[in-house]
Amino acid sequence: MKCSQITKMISRYVDDDLGPEEKRLFELHIQDCSGCRHELEEVRAVHELFASAERFPAPYGFTTRVMANLEAKEPSWLWQLFTLRPFFLRAVEVAFALIIMIIGVFSGNLLVADRTSKTQAVQATVQESFSLDLFQATPPDSVGGAYVRLMGAGDER
Amino acid sequence: MAFPDDPDLINRFKDGDVSAFEELVRKHQDRIYNLCRYMVQDAQEAQDAAQDVFLKAYGSLKAFRPDASLYTWLYRIAVNTCLDYRRKARPEQTEDESVIDDLASTEPSPEQHYQSKEIGQTIQLALQKLPEQLRAAVVLKEIEDLSYEEIAKVLDTSIGTVKSRISRAREELRRLLQKKV
Repeated sequence: MKCSQITKMISRYVDDDLGPEEKRLFELHIQDCSGCRHELEEVRAVHELFASAERFPAPYGFTTRVMANLEAKEPSWLWQLFTLRPFFLRAVEVAFALIIMIIGVFSGNLLVADRTSKTQAVQATVQESFSLDLFQATPPDSVGGAYVRLMGAGDER
Repeated sequence: MAFPDDPDLINRFKDGDVSAFEELVRKHQDRIYNLCRYMVQDAQEAQDAAQDVFLKAYGSLKAFRPDASLYTWLYRIAVNTCLDYRRKARPEQTEDESVIDDLASTEPSPEQHYQSKEIGQTIQLALQKLPEQLRAAVVLKEIEDLSYEEIAKVLDTSIGTVKSRISRAREELRRLLQKKV
């Protein structure tokens, strides 16, 4: 086997992943080739370096923080309705528009009806205020009018 | 501390038991955090990334298929999250030889040389110089001690590709760490 083939097998040899025949040929080559042997030793040293490297446990309170972040990020049910359910949102929009229109129609009717009755009342008052009866010296339903009626209207003539 | 099996926890979670998720985080936090420590730049970033991993997991755990392995799935989220962090932090580094200078500047004293902390730092520094796919493969192999098959599942690639990436990563690390080993 050529050195270029052997160097490609070094990593798998370190992991004990070579088949029996591959392994035999590899070891045969390594015995005679100092260059490949040196490279194998270095790769093995890297592997051992990793093995002796520190392993980091999660910091204290890690899980508690994850759970707290979850609660903070958990959207409210109202927000979920608005963000996660477009059909629901559309339905709400349509319903809202309909309600506004119905309220508009009804309140419009009420206003119109109200205004008519008010107008009639105002008109009546205005008519009354312009009535010539107000300018009669003795309107028939006043005390003076009653008196005049008692004394006999005929006298005036 | 003994934890219930993953499928049990997942089923409880799917039934609406949030405390099952809490147990799940507690069970896997060390492996995921350790992976993040070797995948990103520093401890704070690793903690943020690991937090993100579990937040993402929470969001999609309901859709998780019970026939798949949970920790493989978590590792996949973790690798992708860490790679995203790296991309956001700075664009992929161009290949240069500066690691040797960086390493020389943190040269430990001889008595400290083999202390795991120093070795951890040295390795972390060298890992940051690797292309991201090589880094992910070699960290899963050397730090998390996964098999080629498991790594292939995590990285969603073939076993052949995994073997080749690990081989290239080791070769690259050998070159980068030559002065240290």
